[in-house]
Amino acid sequence: MTMAERQPKAGSWARDIAMVLGTYIPGFARPPARFVTEQGKPVHGIVAEFDNVVKVYHAAEKVRDAGFKRWDLYSPFPIHGVEEAMGFKRTSLPIFVAAIGFCGAGLGLLFQYWVSASAYPLVVQGKPFGAWEPFVPIMFELGVLPSAFAALFGMLMLNGLPRYHHPLLSREQFLRSSDDRFFICIEAEDPAFDAERIRSLLESAGAESVDLVEDDA
Amino acid sequence: MTQAHIRTPHPAAISDQEYQARLDRLANHPALAEENVQLKPSEASGVQHILLGLGAVGLAATVAGGFVYDLQHALASFEIAVFSSTAMALGALFFVMVYHMTNAAWSTTIRRQYENLASMVPICMAFVAVALAFEIFSGGVLLQWIGMDPHSDHLLEHKSGYLNKAFLIIRFLIYFGVWTFLAVRLRAWSVEQDRSGDRWLTQRCRFNSGWGLLAFALTTAFFAFDFLMSMDFRFYSTMWGVYYFAGAAFSSLAVLAMLFSWLKIRGKLDELVMPEHLHDHGKLMFAFTVFWAYIAFGQYFLIWYGNIPEETAYFVFRRQGGWMTLGTVLIAVHFIIPFFLLISRVPKRAPKLLGALAAILVVAHIIDITWIIKPMISAGEGRQVNPMSWWVDVAAVLGVYGVLGFFMLKKVSSVALIPMKDPRLEHALHHVNYV
Repeated sequence: MTMAERQPKAGSWARDIAMVLGTYIPGFARPPARFVTEQGKPVHGIVAEFDNVVKVYHAAEKVRDAGFKRWDLYSPFPIHGVEEAMGFKRTSLPIFVAAIGFCGAGLGLLFQYWVSASAYPLVVQGKPFGAWEPFVPIMFELGVLPSAFAALFGMLMLNGLPRYHHPLLSREQFLRSSDDRFFICIEAEDPAFDAERIRSLLESAGAESVDLVEDDA
Repeated sequence: MTQAHIRTPHPAAISDQEYQARLDRLANHPALAEENVQLKPSEASGVQHILLGLGAVGLAATVAGGFVYDLQHALASFEIAVFSSTAMALGALFFVMVYHMTNAAWSTTIRRQYENLASMVPICMAFVAVALAFEIFSGGVLLQWIGMDPHSDHLLEHKSGYLNKAFLIIRFLIYFGVWTFLAVRLRAWSVEQDRSGDRWLTQRCRFNSGWGLLAFALTTAFFAFDFLMSMDFRFYSTMWGVYYFAGAAFSSLAVLAMLFSWLKIRGKLDELVMPEHLHDHGKLMFAFTVFWAYIAFGQYFLIWYGNIPEETAYFVFRRQGGWMTLGTVLIAVHFIIPFFLLISRVPKRAPKLLGALAAILVVAHIIDITWIIKPMISAGEGRQVNPMSWWVDVAAVLGVYGVLGFFMLKKVSSVALIPMKDPRLEHALHHVNYV
């Protein structure tokens, strides 16, 4: 598993945005993989298999403490308290939703004011032009609806969904993650990715096996 | 009612063995030690004396205000304090019943303080009775229709089947009876469970919360119609009852947040009322901030659009001069500031910050009731609000809230700070927010 690093800018904003664009917009090339195998295949990451929940829980704590950011734990059932063992950060989704929501409400106000006070003033029930009261329900709707969409689609985007295939699913053994095995996969996109260090870390944490995962998409 | 009659098995009830097992597991829990769950009367007495002194001075100043200005101004100030505090007690009663109805486990450790606040209802109603006595014996001070000949005004004649002295007193007694029964009994059953460990008391609270919520919805709405809306007998708004309820739920949560903050500073309820509980309490505060704004705007919007003279007069007067300024302040402190502060996760989980924030909300609610009542002085012909009389409002608020605070702390220090043997207590100790 010798690998050559091609692009050292892992974890940068520019790379993340290019990744998202490459995923969602056809014709947009994703940035080249950071690591390739000797055969020239891009590397997705390193996966370790565990045979019980206690081992995987403590392995998660070790991976967290080693400073890895781009990795995930796969289990057939929810593990209580695993979000702490994995060192979950709170999502940035709320800020995204708030920004979209206020933009929606603001646009609603702007367009209505423009129409009723400037572009096409019309006397309705003797009310003054540009009165703010009738704008409120529409501002509310235009605040709430885009917020809801931003929450749903932002969540999907931050999760990297939708996708047709995941490199881990090419592995026969990984299918047991919905049955009786637990997996930790540290991805090559992690800025601290170092194959030998990860192998020794996961093996010392009690992994049954540690393997390289190729990105076959 | 015989014991056998009450003890009908209910699918939601746990078995005796399970209940006993829960109590046994908690028997030696360190958080349930006495110094953590009991506010000794000696610990509260310092604050209580300050509150009682404030109450006496405030009420005396209110009476003095009556001589400096007139009965209308003094009574308006007194009613601002009374109807805002009644709303707080009613809001707490509402939440106690909702928690019982939904069999809520998370709120078990905070529910006792809701019960304490709700049990202020009889004292608040005693204050309302004082105000009502002034109205009746003076022939209509703020409720000016009391002193009017129903045939002198077409609208009043039309409404006289409802707006008359005898029916008003009957309705007051109904409100008093229903609320006192619910508030006093729900607290008493909960306290009795601390002693007897009878799990069926939980079921009894739940049963009475069912009809209680229905009765609460009707009585609260009509209470608001009778004592606030009818100050201008020409005015009507079908949203009025909901508006008063929205302010009630909002302000009760704010007062309780201040109380929890104070108790936490005194070193009580450690490991019992945790950031997790305050977080959910804060979420309710946020929800009712938005709900109040929604109802307040809904009421204003329809009246503004409809433009019917009897209705519009209410807002026309309040959009002039100083009332407009006060209304703008009201929107800021009752909606905009709390909205942006409470939307964040941080203040909801920090007891001191939440308590400080809640103080703003309590003031906001008092401003809300002031904005309703004070301009009503000018609703009658030839009467004007004296703009210098604001100090009487402050005095009355300090007076009434001081007296109520004294009795409230007496209730708080007389029983355990949490329902010690509630079947759901164990769940509440492990309550976690996953978001």
